[in-house]
Amino acid sequence: MAYIEFHDVVKRFGDNTVLDHINFGIEKGDLVTLLGPSGCGKSTLLRCLSGLEQVSEGKIILDGVDVTNVPASKRNIGMVFQQYSLFPNMNVAQNIAFGLKMQKVPADQIDEKVARAVEMVELKGKEKTYPANLSGGQQQRVALARSIVTEPKVLLLDEPLSAIDAKLRRALQSRIREIQQELGLTSIFVTHDQDEAMVMSDVIQLFHAGRIEQAGSPVDVYTKPVSEFAASFIGSYNQLTAAEFADLTGERVAADQVVAVRPETIGISVEEPEADDVYVLKGMVAGSMPRGNVLRYTVRVGASTLRVDVLFRSFHMFGTGETVYLSLPKHDCLIIPAAA
Amino acid sequence: MSKVAAVQAGGKKTSLAGKIFLAVVAIYLLVPFVTTFIYSLFVEWTDILPSGFTLRNYIELFSNMTFWSSIGRTLVLCIVSVLITIVLILMAMYVVVAVNRKFAGAMQFLCMIPYALQGVILSIGIISLYTGTGTILSNRMFMLFGAYAILVLPYIYQGIRNALNSIDAEMLIQAAEMLGCGRFRAYVQVVLPNIFSGILVSSLLAESIIFGDFVLANNIAGTNYQNIQVFLQANMDVSSGLSSAIVVVIFVVVALVTGIVLKLQGASQKRA
Amino acid sequence: MQQTAVAGRQEVSRAEATTKVAKRRPWLGYLAIVPFFVVVALFEIMPLLQLALNSVIGRESGSLGLENFIRVFTTPLYQQSIWNSVWISLLSAVVGIIVAFLAARFCSEASPRVQNAFTMVLNMMSNFSGVPLAFAFMILMGNSGVLTLIGQNFGIPFLADFNLYGSEGLVLMYIYFQIPLATLLMIPAFAGIRKEWREAATILKATTFDYWFRIVIPNLMPSILGTLSVLFSNALAAYATAYALVMNNYALLALQITSRFKGDVQTDAATGGALAMVLIALMVICTLVNNYFTRRAAKGRELV
Repeated sequence: MAYIEFHDVVKRFGDNTVLDHINFGIEKGDLVTLLGPSGCGKSTLLRCLSGLEQVSEGKIILDGVDVTNVPASKRNIGMVFQQYSLFPNMNVAQNIAFGLKMQKVPADQIDEKVARAVEMVELKGKEKTYPANLSGGQQQRVALARSIVTEPKVLLLDEPLSAIDAKLRRALQSRIREIQQELGLTSIFVTHDQDEAMVMSDVIQLFHAGRIEQAGSPVDVYTKPVSEFAASFIGSYNQLTAAEFADLTGERVAADQVVAVRPETIGISVEEPEADDVYVLKGMVAGSMPRGNVLRYTVRVGASTLRVDVLFRSFHMFGTGETVYLSLPKHDCLIIPAAA
Repeated sequence: MSKVAAVQAGGKKTSLAGKIFLAVVAIYLLVPFVTTFIYSLFVEWTDILPSGFTLRNYIELFSNMTFWSSIGRTLVLCIVSVLITIVLILMAMYVVVAVNRKFAGAMQFLCMIPYALQGVILSIGIISLYTGTGTILSNRMFMLFGAYAILVLPYIYQGIRNALNSIDAEMLIQAAEMLGCGRFRAYVQVVLPNIFSGILVSSLLAESIIFGDFVLANNIAGTNYQNIQVFLQANMDVSSGLSSAIVVVIFVVVALVTGIVLKLQGASQKRA
Repeated sequence: MQQTAVAGRQEVSRAEATTKVAKRRPWLGYLAIVPFFVVVALFEIMPLLQLALNSVIGRESGSLGLENFIRVFTTPLYQQSIWNSVWISLLSAVVGIIVAFLAARFCSEASPRVQNAFTMVLNMMSNFSGVPLAFAFMILMGNSGVLTLIGQNFGIPFLADFNLYGSEGLVLMYIYFQIPLATLLMIPAFAGIRKEWREAATILKATTFDYWFRIVIPNLMPSILGTLSVLFSNALAAYATAYALVMNNYALLALQITSRFKGDVQTDAATGGALAMVLIALMVICTLVNNYFTRRAAKGRELV
């Protein structure tokens, strides 16, 4: 029996079904990411677990107790919101102490716990500062401290970093992950950013249109997408229809399937390569674009266009219009069902 | 190039014309009050220039018990009615932000109606409905408090709603709830302290509206419960010297309240 | 996963957790909105319904019908009142908006010091209305007013013969209280006019006339019309100023309605109710017009 269980959870807003029979469990101490595009229902599921939203059908079990009808304030769940939700009239220490006061923790213990939490989020010296004088990143760290100081059963993080700029975001990702592992805190992290999900999670639950499309470890989800949606959302898979694939390689797959190939698995060379277990395609470079340490080529092969990623080594670049050979390893050509 | 220069030169020329225009408007707005103020300080003004500087009008006014009791009544009306409205709206907005959003539309609609009706319709509707019914509602004081509470509804509603929106009250309540705080408690302990200055500004505005009201007081209570405006109206034909002093006093009080409101608003804008 | 390291840390006894389970009582929360609805019903909705009821029960016949409205629209006094209310309000609103447009325009171009001083005057004088305003104008332009005396001594017929206690006086006073309100409403609208527009227009060889009439005024139109409707309804509903000046001796909607209910002789709630409905109808039209323009302004473009 898992620590948190969702049983046939359905959530409707009017005629709109946002969650469609969600079933899964979360093990104690794991960080699970709910990943998906906006409007896929991931935040709604989080809010159902928090108690801020009521489920329409189904039940939610937390630590062996059915909490489906328990008010949010009684569930002992911590939550960090997307927007900064600090209480503006309270300073950092008072914000962090708020939940402890609600639990009627004795004053001397409150001071001690607040001090520990402040240290944990690296905000020592800012205890008396008011939220208006903190940066976005600092505010979210206070919000994090505030929600873990009460030692909740679960920590929910609803896109907590989406309003923070990229550099700081990476630092906070790893800090959150460290704290989570240090405390062994069961956590659910909602994001639409696949990189963020890869970095942080034990398990990824990929959401699509109110359902779970795929679940698994980051490596599994990245390397073995089970559907066209998963392949397009995770990584930036090249997707070839059955007809295109037959055109390029002469091999047949069923018409309701697509072939997905990750850009970094494709080799590119001037000479025709000689190797087994690869499809060799002749094409023409249509363009190239540096993306950090990776150079992305777009290569026209027959009627199809493929994206190819290679490490950015300036000593050799293919020019636009140049004829090249692409080698697609056969075992990296994933055959998955096409979207309906 | 020359065209740009011409436009800029034109811009400078209009600025002088602009200053003159603004000055003319300001003078037009100030003349009636300034005249009244000068008038209140002189024995007579039957020639081009007034003659005989005196503080007699003010001494007479401040030693007049009817004046003080009308001031007292006005203050009672101001403070009690505004408090009633604040409490009503704070309670109702709790339901909107913490229980069910769907009331927001109805609240807004009901609160904006008095803005369109204003004093005349409101007062005659109330006297037409309740006068002589023999119930507690036919009590003039009861009617007055009710009428004033409705009159200032739009201003206080907007002030409180904007304050709630600006701190994202719904979010704060949810955050508090996740920390083990009940919704009502969160509203009182977390939301209210943060909207205090917003409530203060809108209630001061409401005070100045009630202080300046003549219609409701005259139609509902009339001479039975004279407020400062009714007192002024009753004195206008009796003594213009005394009346000019009342006008100055009313203006100074309202101007002070307005000054405080502007100062508070400026301070909150600077902070934001 | 890492539970062992933190054994006991999250341990909340299961029994405690179950006893803590409290059922939601959502109906309890709704109680807080009840007092608001009660007061609004007693002092806003029911009085309005009472007026509506008065208006449709005939004074003579005592039966349901349009008798009162027919009387209102055929009696010269009431016809005159409606007409006077409409034209005085409209005239004061139009003059008010023209002055406000120019004042707001100059104010937006002025230095911060001038801006602050001017808006201060506007804020202070926007409170100067009603009975005090009427009194001040009597001192200024009444039968022995200061300006009237100046007019007589220097032979200025406009000042010497000015009739404050009639439509001329009412229009002058109504314009007076419209100007601060209108300008305070127009100043924020001018803040939405960007400097770059003028530069862009100049580069595109637009004349000053083109700039104002093809760019600025069309962009400000929603604000102008919205403000106009606020001014119009403000003047329609004004009572204290007119009452202090002419008591009930003038054919003006607000004065006539009130005197039907507080008449010196006898109350006539039926006619008063019908007149009130006419005033409400005019106000509602104004509000709808205003809503239409403010919504269009909010939806269409970010400015104004």
